[in-house]
Amino acid sequence: MLQYTIRRLIGMIPIIFLISVVVFTLAKLMPGDALSGKIDPLNSDPEYIEEMREQMGLNDPIPVQYVRWMSGVVQGDFGDSFVHKRPVMELIGDRLPNTIILGISALLITYLLAFLMGRYSGRFAYSIGDYLISAFNYLALAIPSFVAALVAIYVFAINLGWVPASGSIGSGVEAGTLEYYLSKAKHTVLPAIVLGAMATAAYTQFLRNDMIESSRKDYVRTARAKGTKESAIYNKHILRNSIIPIVTLLGFDIANLFGGAIITETIFTYPGIGYLFVESVNSRDYSVMMAIAMMLTILTLIGNLVADLLYGLVDPRIRLS
Amino acid sequence: MKKSAFWLLSLLLVMSVFLAACSGGGEKANTEKEPKDDGKASGEVKEGGTVTFGYTQPFKGVLSFAYYEGEDDVNALQFMHEGLLKVNDELISEPNLADYELSEDKTKLTFKLKQGVKWHDGEELTAEDMEYAWYLIADPTYEGARFANVAMIKGAQEYKDGKADKIEGIKVVDDYTIEVTVTEPSVNLLENIWIYPEPKHYYGDISSKELPDADQIRKAPIGVGPFKVKNIVPGEMVEFERFDDYWQGPAKLDGVVYKIIDGSLAQGLVQNGEIDVIEAPKDQWEAIKALDNVNPVEADAMSYSYIAFDWGHYDTKKGVVVSDNKKFQNKSLRHAMAHAIDRQAFIDGFANGLGKPLNTPFPSVSWAKIDDSEINPYEYDPEKAKKLLDEAGYVDKDGDGFREDPEGKPFTINFDAMAGAETSEARAQFILQSWQEVGLNAKLNGGSLKDFNLFYDTIEADDPSVETFMGAWGLANDPDPAGIWLSTDKWNMWRWYNEKSDELIKKGVTFPEDASKDVTEHRQEVYNEWQKLVNEELPIIFFEQRVDPWAINKRVGGVKVTPFGTDEFHKWHIVE
Repeated sequence: MLQYTIRRLIGMIPIIFLISVVVFTLAKLMPGDALSGKIDPLNSDPEYIEEMREQMGLNDPIPVQYVRWMSGVVQGDFGDSFVHKRPVMELIGDRLPNTIILGISALLITYLLAFLMGRYSGRFAYSIGDYLISAFNYLALAIPSFVAALVAIYVFAINLGWVPASGSIGSGVEAGTLEYYLSKAKHTVLPAIVLGAMATAAYTQFLRNDMIESSRKDYVRTARAKGTKESAIYNKHILRNSIIPIVTLLGFDIANLFGGAIITETIFTYPGIGYLFVESVNSRDYSVMMAIAMMLTILTLIGNLVADLLYGLVDPRIRLS
Repeated sequence: MKKSAFWLLSLLLVMSVFLAACSGGGEKANTEKEPKDDGKASGEVKEGGTVTFGYTQPFKGVLSFAYYEGEDDVNALQFMHEGLLKVNDELISEPNLADYELSEDKTKLTFKLKQGVKWHDGEELTAEDMEYAWYLIADPTYEGARFANVAMIKGAQEYKDGKADKIEGIKVVDDYTIEVTVTEPSVNLLENIWIYPEPKHYYGDISSKELPDADQIRKAPIGVGPFKVKNIVPGEMVEFERFDDYWQGPAKLDGVVYKIIDGSLAQGLVQNGEIDVIEAPKDQWEAIKALDNVNPVEADAMSYSYIAFDWGHYDTKKGVVVSDNKKFQNKSLRHAMAHAIDRQAFIDGFANGLGKPLNTPFPSVSWAKIDDSEINPYEYDPEKAKKLLDEAGYVDKDGDGFREDPEGKPFTINFDAMAGAETSEARAQFILQSWQEVGLNAKLNGGSLKDFNLFYDTIEADDPSVETFMGAWGLANDPDPAGIWLSTDKWNMWRWYNEKSDELIKKGVTFPEDASKDVTEHRQEVYNEWQKLVNEELPIIFFEQRVDPWAINKRVGGVKVTPFGTDEFHKWHIVE
């Protein structure tokens, strides 16, 4: 297995390289740069813009710019953000904790709901409850996340006033106090629910279908024949087998976890990676944009590897070689 | 069959539950609103309290006037720092932290600082802090955009180029007096020179290049303003608390919170009181204005939008525009295209009436704006437009419904506008249809709108497909049109070359020959002449001047709204 992992990791290198070329080319193909937004007689003049373009090397040939960028990246230096005037890694480091908190909360909500709904649907397949659950799942899948976010904010934050509508922390709380953590939780709960509850469809249906399939298997018939209680059959024997595919999905979620939710974070003004990404695309802050894109690429590749490894771990029938 | 009926039923069930939940929420909102508007109209000033100032773009956190770049950061800076001078209601600079004196030959400016102005860390503001700010900006490693504001100081250019190790024109006389010598006299020196001191003692030895990333600016910035920074949550919120040693006396509020929100939530957040003061998104203004807890304020802004004709290209080598495009040289054509557009209907339809048509590049708040009776108002008159076109020889010869040019060749007009707002597409169609109705074959360049970056890239590169485009400019308080209108300006986007115009613009920043004449009066005369020229020549169709809508919660008093935003922060208070 170790050998397999190493082989996979080495295999990633050319893929990462190719993706870096694509990411860089696409970024440079976008019209404008970080200085286009500075066209404003109040704040700057054309000489300044020219001077900065020259200084940042934006006038160099694209391959030269690519080599300069890549040689930094190999050494772990993603450069400075022009817009924020800070090293990109610091900037991402600042936003990452918010995104991870939101990502984990959302994932927990998804798993919990999907587990409960999938278990019910699998056991009582083709019942009214099952249909209601499918209806909910597909509806949630179909509603665009910005609509869901706006409706949730309107109902729970603005009309009912249960939770704040935006931000990741309230004003007037001191870091490290209990109040601080409560405020943080209060600010995270609504975006987490919007993110988590709307994404249950895949997991629920996976679990449901696997349970239905398992319930027709020989070992289940044997258990029934032995007179094992129905609830024990489902909760012990079937569920345990059917959870396996769900667990492996965890690997694919890693990239999502760090990538943040672009639309949800933006609407909730939740300062995470997704928000930063949108912001930097809009302001053509190349270094930030490319660093996030590269980070997500690598995490997706690692996530796939983890998914494969997990599969081998939980399912003894699969051998990695 | 039975199954699918089940499906439908369950779907309906789910939907009805969903809808019921929504309408329930709506009712709740109505009942909640009523008790809120009791006893708000006549209130008393209450000491203390906190006000939340909202903004819809994340801030970068470069909290220093010398280095910030966007409105997002200056919105936070305005609460914590001030300049030696400030702009009054007539948009003219007047003393704030310092008095000033200009020498007889107008080349030496002396600032006399008020005594006892304190930085937030308790140190006193001295002349050295101002000197330090000029040195930071003129530093060879400085990467900000403010050098133009110190370039007029004698020796600043040499210092920037590394040819001198001191700026010759700056002299600190004593702790409260500083003298600046400028390279040449200028009428708008006070408006152009950099006036924001930086805390020298606080920044220490950090180089000008590294400052924007230093904790002294990022995490714990200081100023001399009425509020000091208590806490910064990057990109999300800045909390301020009252600075008790503020030179005009402590502010009435305990604190201010500067909070970033998503623009789409503005109405809701103003309604439930999470945001007290905000420049409202224009598309929500109708609804926000009607809220019970809001004082709506509409302020004329220092900005205008225009539709430009493309006159030619920018000669980079010579550094001058060349008006070599023949297409729009006919003045009647330009006039007709202006008369064809109902600008008031456009403003009412797309901006909730937030705007006014204008006919010169000076918005009405500017002191230099010419009286409307002296210029052509270009009122909406499609018949007149058609007549002008007929007379100029633009007539439909082949019967396809569109006019041909005087030589009888097909005449089409490409139009460019920026995408982005929900109504962008409709706005562009409005303009196109207005022109089509008088028989001009106008269409979107390339069939679609362009995003901000592509738009400016295409126009700056003098792409041959660009023929007319809609843009906007924000202006400074001084009316000097240089920077946009001179034939040598890169931002003369429409590439209009006119010697008379150049001459007048340059004359507008000179002192009157007759020394006894008032400078402002002299400039007014020159600018009136210039405005008449551009109004008649119409190198661009002046479209509308903007009006900024501000929503201010009724519980907050003392908020002064200016063409540049809000002001007089130390007087803000809670009304109970």
